[in-house]
Amino acid sequence: MSHSAQPTALKMGIPIPNSKLGMWLFLGTEIMFFTAFIGSYIVLRVGSDGWPTSPDDTHINVIAGGINTFVLIVSSYLVVVAHEAMSQKNFAKARTYLIGTLLLACLFLGIKSVEYYGKFAHDILPGHIPENPRQAIRKVDRELESVVRSRFSAYTDAGVIEVAEANDFKVVVTKIEEYGAGTDAKNREDLKASAIVDVELFRQYMDLHDHMVSNVSMTVPAMGPAYTEARSKLAEGEKLPVLTLAEVSDFVTKLKQNEKYGSFVAAGVFDPHPVLYGNLFASTYFLMTGFHAIHVIVGMILFILAIMQGSKLDEKWTDWVENSGLYWHFVDLVWIFLFPLLYII
Amino acid sequence: MSHNDHGSHNEHSTHHVNYLAIFFVLCGCTAASVAFDLLSFSSQYITIVLVLSVAVAKALCVMMFFMHLKFEGNWKYVLLAPTTILALGLPAALFPDIGVSYYKNTAPQSGWSSEMDAWHAAHATKAANE
Repeated sequence: MSHSAQPTALKMGIPIPNSKLGMWLFLGTEIMFFTAFIGSYIVLRVGSDGWPTSPDDTHINVIAGGINTFVLIVSSYLVVVAHEAMSQKNFAKARTYLIGTLLLACLFLGIKSVEYYGKFAHDILPGHIPENPRQAIRKVDRELESVVRSRFSAYTDAGVIEVAEANDFKVVVTKIEEYGAGTDAKNREDLKASAIVDVELFRQYMDLHDHMVSNVSMTVPAMGPAYTEARSKLAEGEKLPVLTLAEVSDFVTKLKQNEKYGSFVAAGVFDPHPVLYGNLFASTYFLMTGFHAIHVIVGMILFILAIMQGSKLDEKWTDWVENSGLYWHFVDLVWIFLFPLLYII
Repeated sequence: MSHNDHGSHNEHSTHHVNYLAIFFVLCGCTAASVAFDLLSFSSQYITIVLVLSVAVAKALCVMMFFMHLKFEGNWKYVLLAPTTILALGLPAALFPDIGVSYYKNTAPQSGWSSEMDAWHAAHATKAANE
């Protein structure tokens, strides 16, 4: 009786470890995730009449983007040699490469933070950007009002103004003026001194606000009998000159240069700078770079978990390092497309 | 951590790849992208085509050598082709409604173009003088 050889077990599926298959399936979903963002960005940009590309408008720094691209390429190289070192069972060397990758990821986020800081410092944020001169003037008006209200809140806190009457500027100003001129020994001297300055700042704000509401140049009166008189002198069909952005820009500059209240204004009012389609730019920029940064952080966590093994890092972690590496290369891959699309084109 | 479900799997490790050479190619491509931005071509379209071509070349380098797709089996097509098709479907579907006619006629800010241009010109002159 012959003994035939046992037939080999039929192997089904894809000939790679389950963990690697899982990672590739995940990366498949990630491809769709980022292509949705990048594709939408391209479609929106193509469909818009204009797009902010000047660094003066966007505060995009192509050198910073280029350095970050280089940083990610170096980190990708370190990951692949870390995996090679794992395959060669040189685990100490692999760990060193992984630490290098982690440090480069930190550097990438550091440079990205500096770029983000520039955007925040210039208020290049979705929904914050005026897209035409009128919106820019209105934004200055809102910000200046906010500064004035913030200054006035000190008097509400000190009990000079009742909370219930804090919304009525007329009452508030009258009370602050009285407080500033008062001789009550119980009055706070610092608040009394600032009262005159705050009322002066309020008058500047009201001057701008009235001109904005009437939409007349700051060279002519905007309210009261003087305004009516200026209008009465107009010939038929003639109009008072309208308020321009250049006028408001100069007005803001002068307010910021004022030695008494300039610092308050500078802290709360941005230089007016309308950017056509700036909000769409800011939304897509933060969406894409933000999600990319989240992916960088996730990659860092994967590397930290391997690095934390210390001398216990062994061949059991080879697939982990390979899969983390695949993920990291994908993060690099996304940036390879974000860099030209956001920084160069 | 690993569980080698299909035994020892190191197909790609048998292929020698000069990773350092790939790294230098990627660095060169990045430098080329920045250089294309700094050079002023007669048309913006030339810059777009050049930098996107460089980006595709870099992506292929990363996928083929760093992600070892060059050495993987045909499963890579089964896994990646459907996702790629679906990924391209979204922009293709958006394009007729958004890409072709978005903001063309009704965007209120479009009407301010002349004043915006004048303001930007004045702003640039002011900045240059400062």
